[in-house]
Amino acid sequence: MDNQIEKDIVESVLAKLLEQGILNPSAKATPATEAATGSTVDTDSEPVTLEPMDFIGIENPNNLEALKVMRKSTPARILMGRAGARQRTASLLNFQADHAAAVDAVFKDVSDEFLAEHNLFKVRTIVKDKDEYLMKPELGKKLSDETKREILDKGDKGKQVQIIVVDGLSSTSIEANIADVMPALIQGLETQGITVAKPFFIQYGRVGVMDEVAPLMACDVIVQFIGERPGLITADSMSAYMAYRPDHNTVEAERTVISNIHRGGTPPAEAGAHLATVVKKMIDNKVSGVKLAELMR
Amino acid sequence: MGTSNLEIVQSVGIDIGTSTTQFVVSRLTVKNVAPGSLVPRFAITDKEVRYKSDIHFTPIDSNNRVDADKIFALIRSEFSRAGVSPETIDTGAVIITGETAKKENARSISGKVAGFAGDFVVATAGGKLESIIAGKGSGASDLSRRDYATVANIDIGGGTANVGIFKNGKALDSCCINVGGRLLQVDQSTGRVISVSEPMKSILEDIDLGLRPGERVSLEILGRICRRMSMVILECLGTGELSALAEQLLMTAPLRLDYDIDRVMVSGGVADHVYAPASSMAITDATRYGDIGPLFGMELARLFQARKVPMAEPTETIRATVIGAGAQTVDVSGSTILADDAVLPFKNIPVAIPFSDTLPGDETAIAKGVAQSIDNFYENDSLDKIAIGLTGNQYLSFKEIQVLARGLLKGLDPVIRAGFPVIIVLEADIGKVLGQSMKAVNGQMNIVCVDQLLVTEGDYVDIGKSIAGGTVVPVVIKSLVFETKQI
Repeated sequence: MDNQIEKDIVESVLAKLLEQGILNPSAKATPATEAATGSTVDTDSEPVTLEPMDFIGIENPNNLEALKVMRKSTPARILMGRAGARQRTASLLNFQADHAAAVDAVFKDVSDEFLAEHNLFKVRTIVKDKDEYLMKPELGKKLSDETKREILDKGDKGKQVQIIVVDGLSSTSIEANIADVMPALIQGLETQGITVAKPFFIQYGRVGVMDEVAPLMACDVIVQFIGERPGLITADSMSAYMAYRPDHNTVEAERTVISNIHRGGTPPAEAGAHLATVVKKMIDNKVSGVKLAELMR
Repeated sequence: MGTSNLEIVQSVGIDIGTSTTQFVVSRLTVKNVAPGSLVPRFAITDKEVRYKSDIHFTPIDSNNRVDADKIFALIRSEFSRAGVSPETIDTGAVIITGETAKKENARSISGKVAGFAGDFVVATAGGKLESIIAGKGSGASDLSRRDYATVANIDIGGGTANVGIFKNGKALDSCCINVGGRLLQVDQSTGRVISVSEPMKSILEDIDLGLRPGERVSLEILGRICRRMSMVILECLGTGELSALAEQLLMTAPLRLDYDIDRVMVSGGVADHVYAPASSMAITDATRYGDIGPLFGMELARLFQARKVPMAEPTETIRATVIGAGAQTVDVSGSTILADDAVLPFKNIPVAIPFSDTLPGDETAIAKGVAQSIDNFYENDSLDKIAIGLTGNQYLSFKEIQVLARGLLKGLDPVIRAGFPVIIVLEADIGKVLGQSMKAVNGQMNIVCVDQLLVTEGDYVDIGKSIAGGTVVPVVIKSLVFETKQI
C-alpha cells in the first residue's frame, strides 16, 4: 500500500475519533511523548509487583471454597483463569519471572560473603568456568592434586562425618537453605556423639565429587548439600546426597538422597534433624543407598 | 530415604448406646506415602472392618441402670467370636452414648471396658466427640471432602441425635440433641406405653399431652410426638428460631451456623427408616422394636422432604458410630518427630496453648507464656503431666527454633523438676529439630515432641508408643470430651 494512502487513512480515522469525542485532542501526541520521557516504561522505578501465586483467576466460580482447597493442595499452576483462549497477562508475567529466577539460579555463583558468614572455605573442581561446567558434567566430579592438598591443609581429616556444600545447578538454593539445614544437622550428629569435620564449599561440583573427597578426608559418611536443577515452582530446592565411605568404585545405588529441601517442601531445619538420624543409621549399619533402604524396610 | 515400612494397627470400636450395644474390630494400614527420595510421610492408607458384631440390645438392670456385668460379659464373648484377644488391640474407642451416658455408672463402665480392651483405647462419653465419630463412620466426612461440600450428619439413636458438621473432610461444628427413637417405649402386642423417659416428658408437655406407663396410645399421638422431635432437629439445623423445647433438649451449645449446610445425612438406627420410608405405617410396625424409632424415621423423612432439605445417603446407618469408633478415632503424627518410647503411651493429657497468635521472638517471653499457661491449668492442684500445644505454620529458622527450645525448657522447668516428661504438640513440621534442640540443652530429659497435629485449648491427647520403626506415633485428639450437660 502507498504510504500516502496509509497516512490519509490514519488521519481520517483520527479526525473521526476526535469528532466523536472518543479521542482527547490533547492526547493526540501522547504515545510518542510518553515514550520519549519514559513515563510509561520506567526502568528505574519499583519493580512490577507480581500477582500472588495462590490467586484464583477463575471468574464467577460455582464453588469458590472447593477451588481454595484445590489451590492449597499443590503449588502447580492451576486455576489461573484465562483471557479468551490465552493465559492472563499476570500469569504470563509470573511464568516469565519464575523462568528468569530458574536461569539466575543456574548462572549465579554462591557469593563470597555468604561463604565467609558460614565459615566455609572455597575450592573448585577442575572445571574452568560456568560454560564448561554445564557442558562437561564429568569434569564437575574431579579435583586437581593442588585442590586436594588445599583441602587437606584447611580441613579436618579423620572425622566420622564430612559435610560438603556444592553449588550444583542452583546457587540460590544453597544461599536459601544452608543457614538452617547445616547447624540442625551438626547439632543432631553431635548430640548422638558423632564427630563432624569442618565443612567446606566446592564450586562447579556434581554429586560424584564426594567420591574424591571421602577417601581424601578418611570419613565414614559424607553428606553433600547440592543445588537441584531449578524448576518453575521454585529455584530454592536443595538435595542432600549421602554415602558410606564412597570412592571411585561407588555406583549411584550406593547413595542415599533426601531431596526437595526448601521452605515449601521439607523445611530445612527439620530436614537437618532428619538427616542426622539417617547418618546415624549409615554409621551403625555401615551401608548407604538401596542397601540401607532394604535394611529399613 | 526409602523407608517403606508398613504397619498394621488393630483397632476396636465399642458403642454402648441407649438401645443397642455394638462391637467392631478393624485393621488400619499405616504406610509411608512419600516417594523414595523424600523425607518419609506416614499416613493411614487403609481401613478395613474385619469383624462386625450383631446388634445387641443394651443390657439394663431392674434399676434402669446399665448392667455393667452383662456388658462386660458381652464384650468378652464378642472378642472371642471375633477371634481376637484384647492384648493384640493397638487402639480404638469405647463410646458410651445417648441416654446411657447419663446413667450413673457410665464412667466406671467406660474405664473398666477400656482397661480390658487394651492399653491405648479411648473411653469416652460425650456428645461432641460422638457426633464427630458418627459423621466419620457414616461417610459424611468423606462426602464433604469428595464434593468440597458442607455436610451435616445427624446420627439418631435411641436417646440422642448427634449432629456433626463436616467441611472438606474436617469436623467444623457439632451439637447433641436429646431426641431419639427409644425415649418412649411402647409394647407392640398391646399398644400400651411401657415407659416414658425424662426428655420425653418435656416433649409431651410441649404438645400438651400426658402419657403414663400402661396407657394405650394411638398411632396419631405417636405421629405427633415424632413430628415434634423432627421439628426440633430442623430447628437445631438453623430452620427458624430455636423453640423453648429445642433449647431444653440441646445437651451441648447449639450449632454456630456461621456456614451454609449443603447436604444433610442421617445415620444411626433411625436412619434405616429415613431412607426407605414406608408410605404409611400400622401401629404394630411403628412399635416393632418396642419403641417409636421406625415412626420417627418416617416422620423425619416426610418433614425433610416437605422442607426440601437436600439429602445424602450414608454408607453406614445403625453401625456408623461403632465403625467410626473402631476406625476413625486415631491419627498419626508427622514422620520426623522425637519421642522417647520409654515414657509412652500417654492417656488424657491436657493441652495448654500458651500463644494464641504468633510466637514471641525472645526466650524470656516464651518461657513466661508457657509458665503462665501451666499455672492457669494447675492453679490450685498439684502439678501433673501437661502438653504444650503450639499452633500456626509460620516458618522458623534454626536460630528461632533454638530460642523456642530454650524458652520452652525454661517455662517447663517446674514440670521437669517434678519429674514429668516434656510433651510438645506442634502444628508446624519442626518436631524433630525442636526435640533435638531441647535434647542438646539437657540430654537426660524425656521428651515427646510431635508435629503436624492441630490442637486447641481444652483438648486432651492420647499418644501411643511409636510405630513404623520409631518414625510416627498414633495420636488421638479429644476435644472437650466430658462436656455434655446433664439433664
